[in-house]
Amino acid sequence: MIYLDSAATSLQKPKEVPLAVSRAMSMMASPGRGCHRPAMMAADCVLNCRMLLASYFNAGEPENVIFTFNATHGLNIAINSLVSKGDKVVISGYEHNSVTRPLKALGAETFIAKSRLFDKYDALEAFKQALPGAKCAVCTHVSNVFGFILPIREIAGLCRELSVPLVIDASQSAGILPVDFKELGAAFIAMPGHKGLLGPQGTGVLLCGHDTKPVLFGGTGSNSADSLMPDFLPDRLEAGTHNVSGVAGLAQGLRFIMSKPKNAISRHESGLCRAFAEKTRGITGLKMFLSENFSAQAGVISVMSDRIASDELAERLGKEGICVRAGLHCSPLAHETVGTAEQGTVRFSFSPFNTVAEVSYAADTLKKILNKP
Amino acid sequence: MLHYLLMCRSLTYAQRASRALERIGISAIITKAPKSATGQGCNYCVKVSEKNLTRSIAALVDAGLGPTKVFLVTGEGSVSEVPG
Repeated sequence: MIYLDSAATSLQKPKEVPLAVSRAMSMMASPGRGCHRPAMMAADCVLNCRMLLASYFNAGEPENVIFTFNATHGLNIAINSLVSKGDKVVISGYEHNSVTRPLKALGAETFIAKSRLFDKYDALEAFKQALPGAKCAVCTHVSNVFGFILPIREIAGLCRELSVPLVIDASQSAGILPVDFKELGAAFIAMPGHKGLLGPQGTGVLLCGHDTKPVLFGGTGSNSADSLMPDFLPDRLEAGTHNVSGVAGLAQGLRFIMSKPKNAISRHESGLCRAFAEKTRGITGLKMFLSENFSAQAGVISVMSDRIASDELAERLGKEGICVRAGLHCSPLAHETVGTAEQGTVRFSFSPFNTVAEVSYAADTLKKILNKP
Repeated sequence: MLHYLLMCRSLTYAQRASRALERIGISAIITKAPKSATGQGCNYCVKVSEKNLTRSIAALVDAGLGPTKVFLVTGEGSVSEVPG
């Protein structure tokens, strides 16, 4: 089996991740629910991970780091904190349903800064045109469908100039591309723990640089006599029992990433993209969505065939042991932007644990399927 | 024996305060704040000895982790807030 669906969830993890999860499950209780040893071990584990994340993303004090269940949870908190009914909100043309659905639910007036695929200049221009008068902006760092790396530093700069709070969805970039919270000056950055950060499912992180509004209310192990949520972070946004075992695993995933030289993971994934593109070049009827020289593309490649529907192609690849995802990838907007909404695409997404040999095998398998009469 | 409880905003602050004090050689055990004293329930303190009180507060203020309240606990267990 070759797993090429890391844009959904990274499957291969550093061996320390499941060990940490197992240890936490057997030894740790719940932070803030007592001063006994299992509770304090859990509290230490959670604080250590918080501090590690604050340092890795240059987020300042560890209190600015909120543990969520996933990126969607973080995006919901961020959007709910900034947006009210009727507010103008600018989003890129590559946003996930985790952005568009909360905006719809809140009754925001969403303005799409549409741009051509892999055209960073166009994306920046689209934001430049759209931002005046906006209450806030939401932008993904990397498209989960096409791997398009949006010019997030420049978009963040524009937002700062215009004092428009920016929410960044770092679902596909955290742990892979540089994400510097202070340098970007974003209001919030949301990310999953289970993709590029190599942690377990059920973990996510929200970096906070703005006033917040909770979406979950309940016990925090602090100010218990008060009927309102605490006004301080992280407690304000972390109602209920933490996913301590998940956080323990996430810390190990992050340690693995931090042990690698800067940009090593993105270079590796870029190399895999090149190898895959090289191997699949010239397959009749296969459309590949590639950025020139991969300068605007992370480790995600979408393809579509003019002969076999995307769902069917992914199924056939699956039968050959190649795990990929087909369809709209929960991002119908991205497909509408690029014009692939009708058929969807087949997405190959890579991880630090994939090898050139695996990617070559996947490319050969794709060729074999598509060349079959 | 007399000791002091330095009340923190949250468990996270208490942990950070405890670590900051331990780093400079002051024993600072995290403990739940007595509800009778705080009235709020579920708050956390770090416990320091009488001789380390002044140094502890100074170090925590320097680190941006200044306590929200300070309580004196006597040997008999009575708790009273130390006026700021």
